[in-house]
Amino acid sequence: MKKILSLVLSLTMLLCAVPAFADVAADVEAGQSMTHDALVEKALAESGPFVVYGNTSRIETAAEAFGELYGIPYEPNNLKDQEIYEKLRYVNGNDAADMVMIQDGAQLTDAIDEGLVVNFVPASVQDALSESDQQPALVHQYINKLFIYNNLGDDVPAIRNVWELTAPEMKGNVIFKNPENEKVNMNFLVMCTKDEWADRLAEAYLDWKGEEIDLGGYANAGYKWVAEFLDNVTFGKSDTSIAEEVSQETAAGKIGLFVLSKLRSSSVLTDNLTVAEYDAVANGYAVEPFAGFMYPMYTMVNTRATRPYTAMLFIEYLMSQEGFQPWGKNIGAYSSNPSFAVNEGDLTIDVWKDVLVVEDADYILESFDVEDFILQHCQN
Amino acid sequence: MDEARTQRIALNRIKGKTLAWFSKPANVILLVFLLLLAALTLYPLLSLLTETVTVHAGREARAAKQAVGDLTFYHFQRLFATQENEYSLIQFYEPFRNTLLVSLSASMIAILFGGTVAFLVMRTNLKYVKFVSAVFTFPYIMPSWTLALFWENFFKNVNIGLKTSNGIMAAVFGVYMPEWFVYGGFPIALVLGLHYAPYAFILIGTMLRNMDASLEEAAMILRTRRLRIIRCITLPVVRPAIMSTFLLVFASSMSAYSVPVFLGSPVRFYMLSTKMKSLIDSYPGQAYIIASVMILLGIVILLLNQRVTSSRKHFTTVTGKSRQISRIDLGRANYPLAILLVIVLLLVAVTPLLTFAMESVIIKAGDYTPGNMTLDFWIGTNLTERLDQGDSTGILLNPKVWNALGYSLGLAALSAFVAGTCGILVGYGVAKRRGSRLANVVNALSFFPYLMPSLAFGAIYLAMSSRIPWLRGFLLLALVGSVKYMPFSSRSGLNAMLQLSGEIEEAAVITGVPWWKRMLRVVFPIQKSSFLSGYLMPMVSCMRELSLFVLLVPTSNTILTTMLMQYSEKGWAQFGNAINLLIIIVVLLVNFIVNKLTGASIDKGVGG
Repeated sequence: MKKILSLVLSLTMLLCAVPAFADVAADVEAGQSMTHDALVEKALAESGPFVVYGNTSRIETAAEAFGELYGIPYEPNNLKDQEIYEKLRYVNGNDAADMVMIQDGAQLTDAIDEGLVVNFVPASVQDALSESDQQPALVHQYINKLFIYNNLGDDVPAIRNVWELTAPEMKGNVIFKNPENEKVNMNFLVMCTKDEWADRLAEAYLDWKGEEIDLGGYANAGYKWVAEFLDNVTFGKSDTSIAEEVSQETAAGKIGLFVLSKLRSSSVLTDNLTVAEYDAVANGYAVEPFAGFMYPMYTMVNTRATRPYTAMLFIEYLMSQEGFQPWGKNIGAYSSNPSFAVNEGDLTIDVWKDVLVVEDADYILESFDVEDFILQHCQN
Repeated sequence: MDEARTQRIALNRIKGKTLAWFSKPANVILLVFLLLLAALTLYPLLSLLTETVTVHAGREARAAKQAVGDLTFYHFQRLFATQENEYSLIQFYEPFRNTLLVSLSASMIAILFGGTVAFLVMRTNLKYVKFVSAVFTFPYIMPSWTLALFWENFFKNVNIGLKTSNGIMAAVFGVYMPEWFVYGGFPIALVLGLHYAPYAFILIGTMLRNMDASLEEAAMILRTRRLRIIRCITLPVVRPAIMSTFLLVFASSMSAYSVPVFLGSPVRFYMLSTKMKSLIDSYPGQAYIIASVMILLGIVILLLNQRVTSSRKHFTTVTGKSRQISRIDLGRANYPLAILLVIVLLLVAVTPLLTFAMESVIIKAGDYTPGNMTLDFWIGTNLTERLDQGDSTGILLNPKVWNALGYSLGLAALSAFVAGTCGILVGYGVAKRRGSRLANVVNALSFFPYLMPSLAFGAIYLAMSSRIPWLRGFLLLALVGSVKYMPFSSRSGLNAMLQLSGEIEEAAVITGVPWWKRMLRVVFPIQKSSFLSGYLMPMVSCMRELSLFVLLVPTSNTILTTMLMQYSEKGWAQFGNAINLLIIIVVLLVNFIVNKLTGASIDKGVGG
């Protein structure tokens, strides 16, 4: 009986044993000061496939080029943020990602606190990047979602002020992806209620209407704009489909708020679209108080990585001009490294930072009630 | 002395009883499956319930102002009783109402449509029966969201939804459908109803096919009117199948995610499944409560189902006696009915395939002129000219696609084999020990995975796998696939066994034929088609499954459906459409081969 019991117990222990994770954080600490050659040496000494999670499709192209450069077998995975965080929490062993590229700074802050990921800043970029792009998480690039409208017909919604989107005649003409389905969209709306942006929205209202804003029951101008904007919005499935739909010949009078890089898609009729901010720059005016929003895309090392040094080498590669190429070759992606030139016809990241709402993870993390308020207006 | 003797006798009696109990294969089967299913379904369920009262890291812990891992009722209070910003109304009560309405309507549509067609095919002399029964299962083979996408692309117009473009109906025929027809609860229920109508067709069709016509003939001899025969004889016989269909369609519709997103989003129509998905990341506690509510709803229907089937008893339709089916002569109504049915099926089952084929060869969206067409997305070798990144060859020349196809097929085959075999055994055990507590428990447990929303089921198994190192990759996916789809097999196994008169196996028992031989030589051959459909249904479901596997696949290129989703997400609709078509073709091919080899097929369903 005792023998059976001990057999059962040892079997149970075997079945339920949690694998011991390498001390990835210590490796990353050591890697911060390593030279490129030292990183390569350590990375090549690691075994097993190099697994990458990313919520950008171009991670595959980058991983392929990296894999070929160093002869490392790679497995890129293009997943949604939600799936990435879920997998980071539970997947271990060889299937676990070594490195992730991810958006939504608020959730990433939680993931760092939870110990799911650890930040690595390659020595090669420590001097080039601003402190805020290095800590608490390394920003690889910024992505912008802009007001882009259909330029056909007599009723072109060439907005100069975001309050125009709240006018009754715009109801049903504004298309946006449901903030419930993509957190960066939620983050943008939450940011509008922050004092800094609420004040600018109040000023913009004055410019638009010629009178002081009447807040009614709203806490500030940000809440009012978000509520009235959402009341006019129709939700699209994805940024790709929104870009395709707004560009149709039959979509005169429509305006969308979506990722600028979608204009590269072969299924989008780019000629029928005008980017509001491009028009503003060309004609010497400004879209008040913002022309869209921008959010960072971060690179992190998974604390369950089985190839931590390869992850660090890949991050170093991604931060190089060559590594940024899959994104940088088109408009709509901006390296955090200010020395990288932007595409011809596009604006620099400094210009975009001035005219777009950039997410602030700390404010978003403490604004649960704002999210509830937004959800309410996504429903009604 | 006497006392010791009495004790020995008592012991011997117990021993004898135990041996006798274990000598019956049905008992052993039930016991083994009780243990297995408890581990594979009860454990996930308990994990899920635990999650509803646990504080999770991140946003949830901060909002609840409690430590991670603490026991809490915060999630319940927040989801059910938060009036501020109408939170509970928006996150739970309205989606709950919508879910009930959609699932009920979808079930009714599936039963009415599938049941009527099954009746026409099995019991009348309807024309074009081969075409109808072959094509009827197409909507089920397609991932349901592709049907939703087709619906939108077909009926959308500039007056409704995004108001940006016209679908085929408006562009070609100038017909502008109203918004309620294209977006919201009605089309969601209709698309789900059409997608799951094959359940009704298969389950009800089987009953009708196997039904002994002598009952109806007796009524006819007594000059009973046709309608009365249907009402008093046919319907009661197929009632268990109707209830089973209701249960299956209700549970599936309730947890459908992509269809409500596609057809509900533009008009802000939300269901519990969409809310669960949006909450699972930041507020998992609330998401798991929603999953629990969905399971609870399923249990209510399951209990209703059991009540109906047990109170009416079952009808043995396959006996040792000869049987023949009397077909109703449709007379002059035959051709109009057949043509109408063919048109409807062409619209819902064939047109989507043609549009997938069309969309996979056009370069710019919306332009269907020959100049805008190419086969490059299928067989091209230098796609970098058309796409600025990623795959440079058409899908048929892409090794990633072939690998994923192989993996998907292997996964579907293994899951189907395990689910199908277990399903037959469970069906056998439950049928033989019908009415016993053990049989009832095993029966309920084997159906349980069906009631768990796929996404939550996948998430729970992902969490479980993190504690069991060897449970990963193909093994994990196959285990999840087998457990999740066993209900199909156990249902068809049970239905088949219930139809089988006991006297058939008894004849073999009397001549001393061992159990395994009776199963292989007697039971299986007679109900071969029913059992094989218990293999085919999990196979088809696995091939087109996404939500269940999305969190569990080692890489996003592992199986065809995750790859398909990838392409759609990236905006490479041509690849997405081509892969969708590939899945459907492969499933049809499998069905064709199985049909040629065994005579069974999906459309013949659980019918013999």
